[in-house]
Amino acid sequence: MLPALRTLVAAAACAIASGAAEAQWWLDVPTGGIPRTASGEVDHAAPAPRAPDGRPDLSGVWEPVKTYSRDLAEDLVAPREIPYQPWAKALAADRADGSESREDPPAQCLPQGVPRLAGAPAPWKIVQTPALTVVIYEAFTLWRQIFTDGRTLAAEVNPTWLGYSSGRWDGDTLVVETRGFNGKSWLDQVGNPSTEQLRVVERYRRPDFGHLEIEVTIDDPGAYTAPWTVRQRANLLVDTDLLEFACNENNRDVQHLPGGD
Amino acid sequence: MNVRSVATLVCGAVLAVATTALAHHSFPAQYDVNKPIKLTGKVTKVEWTNPHIFIYADVKNEQSGEVVNWAFEMGGPNALIRRGWTRNSLKADDLVTFEGSLARDGSRLVNARTIVMTETGKRMFAGSSGGDELPAQQ
Repeated sequence: MLPALRTLVAAAACAIASGAAEAQWWLDVPTGGIPRTASGEVDHAAPAPRAPDGRPDLSGVWEPVKTYSRDLAEDLVAPREIPYQPWAKALAADRADGSESREDPPAQCLPQGVPRLAGAPAPWKIVQTPALTVVIYEAFTLWRQIFTDGRTLAAEVNPTWLGYSSGRWDGDTLVVETRGFNGKSWLDQVGNPSTEQLRVVERYRRPDFGHLEIEVTIDDPGAYTAPWTVRQRANLLVDTDLLEFACNENNRDVQHLPGGD
Repeated sequence: MNVRSVATLVCGAVLAVATTALAHHSFPAQYDVNKPIKLTGKVTKVEWTNPHIFIYADVKNEQSGEVVNWAFEMGGPNALIRRGWTRNSLKADDLVTFEGSLARDGSRLVNARTIVMTETGKRMFAGSSGGDELPAQQ
């Protein structure tokens, strides 16, 4: 947890203990049902909670442990290097020095795609129900719906920034497949490209109470010669919540960024 | 390897280890981490807005006496709120010292990392997307 956030949480806890604060800002409300150690610290190593249907409950506010949105391949699992097609390699190399930064969609407050959104340095919240899991991302106040009701996606859909997601359980792992992307997203700030053929498979696992592990496979035959897989990790944030982040309120940066001339 | 590539690598390394705040754009593409700057001025305007807060301040050149208005970019409101800021933490007419990195495009724009209130000596982190601490100089 960020030091300042910890201070805020501690202050809120003191206020509650003294009975001083009844009305609270959402940022400071203690989370219920949290396992604690004898000293009162959150027991992140406690077993992951279970939903009433017996599945692991992934619900909670999560914060990525690294800024994967900067470099999606920071924890590349396989293969050993990103299997670029020649044009994609040339484009990524062009973008890597920052000279095209103005063209990166989030620099213009357009959505960070999938899976970049989960690696942005902002928390996100999973709300899990049996037939639908919703993920709310603080970064640009975006959301995804992951349907676990057995539906499958048609071949022809209107392409979007975040695609269409459906999920199924593989043991204790939620496997999410997302397609129907618009091909405009940079997969990360480094500039790895995507096309409309992108298919993302995310495997979410909650090994204990305080940690989430996500294995993400990028399958985009439009830009890469083979699928490639990265690992992402997130930590549970307790006693706090998301805040609104309306990016395009006053975006002055774009005029100072190189590229687009 | 050209100079820009080296700078990108250096900044990349800094970003990788720093506690980053909300960064919707590339920090090293916009700011030169090798151009640290420290300026003291009187706040003229506060834009407490997404995606980044901007503080404007009149900075006086002690030699020439010329007063120039500078812009200081900080983290977004959420990043600052989580560091203990409120929208009233800085107000017009406050005397403040900013430390940060200069914009690459030559404009009077600084990415502020820390802010020190002259009156109280209070030091606050600015939620810079380049991290809280100034990197070691090259």
